[in-house]
Amino acid sequence: MKTKFLQVKTFNDVTLWNNLKDGDEKSFSILFEKYYGDLVNYGNSLSPYAEKVQDCVQDVFTDIWVYRNGLQNSVVVKAYLLSSVRKRIARLHERDHIFRKATSTDAISFLLEFSVENELIDDDYATKEKVVYLNKLLNELPARQKEALYLRYHQGLTVEQIADMLEVNYQSASNLLYRGLLTLRKEWKGNLSLIILLSLTTC
Amino acid sequence: MQKRNKYTEIEDFLSDESFQSWILFKIDEDGWEEWTLESRQRAKLVEDARLLLLAMKVPDSNLSPSDIHNALQTTWIKIEEKEKHINSIHDSKVKTLRKYFFSGAAAILVFGILSVWFYQNQISPKSTVITYKELIDENSEGLVEQTNNSDKPQIITLSDGSSVLLQPNSKLSYPKIFTGNERKVYLSGEGFFEISKNPKKPFFVYANEIVTKVVGTSFRVKAYSDQPDVEVLVRTGKVRVKSNDLVAKSNQEEVVLLPNQALRFLRSDLSFNKITNITQDVTLTRSVGNIEQLSFEFTDIPVSQIFQTIEQAYLVDIDYPKNKLKDCHLTTSLSDQPLTEKLKIVCNSIGNNTSFEMNGNQIIITSEGCN
Repeated sequence: MKTKFLQVKTFNDVTLWNNLKDGDEKSFSILFEKYYGDLVNYGNSLSPYAEKVQDCVQDVFTDIWVYRNGLQNSVVVKAYLLSSVRKRIARLHERDHIFRKATSTDAISFLLEFSVENELIDDDYATKEKVVYLNKLLNELPARQKEALYLRYHQGLTVEQIADMLEVNYQSASNLLYRGLLTLRKEWKGNLSLIILLSLTTC
Repeated sequence: MQKRNKYTEIEDFLSDESFQSWILFKIDEDGWEEWTLESRQRAKLVEDARLLLLAMKVPDSNLSPSDIHNALQTTWIKIEEKEKHINSIHDSKVKTLRKYFFSGAAAILVFGILSVWFYQNQISPKSTVITYKELIDENSEGLVEQTNNSDKPQIITLSDGSSVLLQPNSKLSYPKIFTGNERKVYLSGEGFFEISKNPKKPFFVYANEIVTKVVGTSFRVKAYSDQPDVEVLVRTGKVRVKSNDLVAKSNQEEVVLLPNQALRFLRSDLSFNKITNITQDVTLTRSVGNIEQLSFEFTDIPVSQIFQTIEQAYLVDIDYPKNKLKDCHLTTSLSDQPLTEKLKIVCNSIGNNTSFEMNGNQIIITSEGCN
């Protein structure tokens, strides 16, 4: 994980993207290796069929290469990829439920459970407990709020990009984030500083 | 990294990539640990951000580098397949039949059914084979039928001004007057069609198992029920060919033909073969009629010669006042026009109340000479 992360950071997405558009296979491969795991993780959060998710992610990259001449120049690569994966899984979902008329990606819901990792072993018991509690609160949030939080803080997308992806306007996207954090704030009685901090973030 | 000194909100930390990598991957490239300890308040903020980030972790898919490498290989294979597929949509049919093509004359669309060489091993008729008779029976709304039993092509003028040059041993059924939003005719054998333009009323030629659609242009059709394939050849404009609904409900493939492209329809398996190089196709080359070899582009040409060209093309006789028109020269383009249109254009160009009258293969021009 370490090596991957470091290696990845040295390449600039925009440069890679533009090289890819010009037909550079190396850039394509670098972007693929950089984001594949992340996209599969995200895809798995939207579909219980791990096999199909990998297929979808590969198809997204296939289309990027095949139709590279039509790609836009100014793209936030990560947001574009996440969004493409989401759309493709939504389409897959739609095909599996042909009687469902929904065409928007609303039809899919964020299934992912946030999880507490083993590395917390290093931490003291009180910290662990806090994390587990926060984790529980997060997992009780409505799926869309959870997904918005995930995209914002785990994937580092901007509110605009999240709005695009979830097919809502800017205000709705920031509301999703706001409500998510608000719930946490209400429930998180044990930690005063977090309440203050969260209130700062949501104004 | 100075921007972090201004961080006041948990959100600032949460979305900081460097911070994320410190918390999630324990990669502290920017000295977060030290920085955090500089201020107590800051430490609290960082701790909360850390807790939230940790609580928000998602399970890793546990893909190993070799998994990702394999996925990349799979993707390249998919790309190759997809590109192949896309290309095949564009020209696969073309490739296989590149050898058929002949040097095209004017811009005219021709479709025909031929393949004399298959004549001997003629396929036994299956239920999927549609004959002219069945087509007519399907559509018996008062059609006029014209049969050419002579040894020369015959000209037929339809009610919309379109002309059909019907080859020997061929039959054409058509309504006396075209009504509705479509113009439909039925062919057995071979014919050369020149359709008057009318985008609102597309023109359909039903010939055995295929249907050819044009909006307005000229073309030849040749379709014999005792031959194993059907051919369509295009000289100008664009035609669409598809199989008749009667034979292929599922196979609603439509083939678009451009000038000097041809299509061969195999009746036995209902398959379309597009031919993009007609000069290489012996059968097509051999079957070219006069009309396809003649040029209707005239530059300062005596009217008498223009009439002669028309006579050759349509196998008609044109009677005109030779003396009065002997010094008349025209520059005009008559390609892609039905016979009647050609005559109209020529008459209008001559001027002086020049008119024509058509009676079967006989055309009479009345004129007082040119301007």
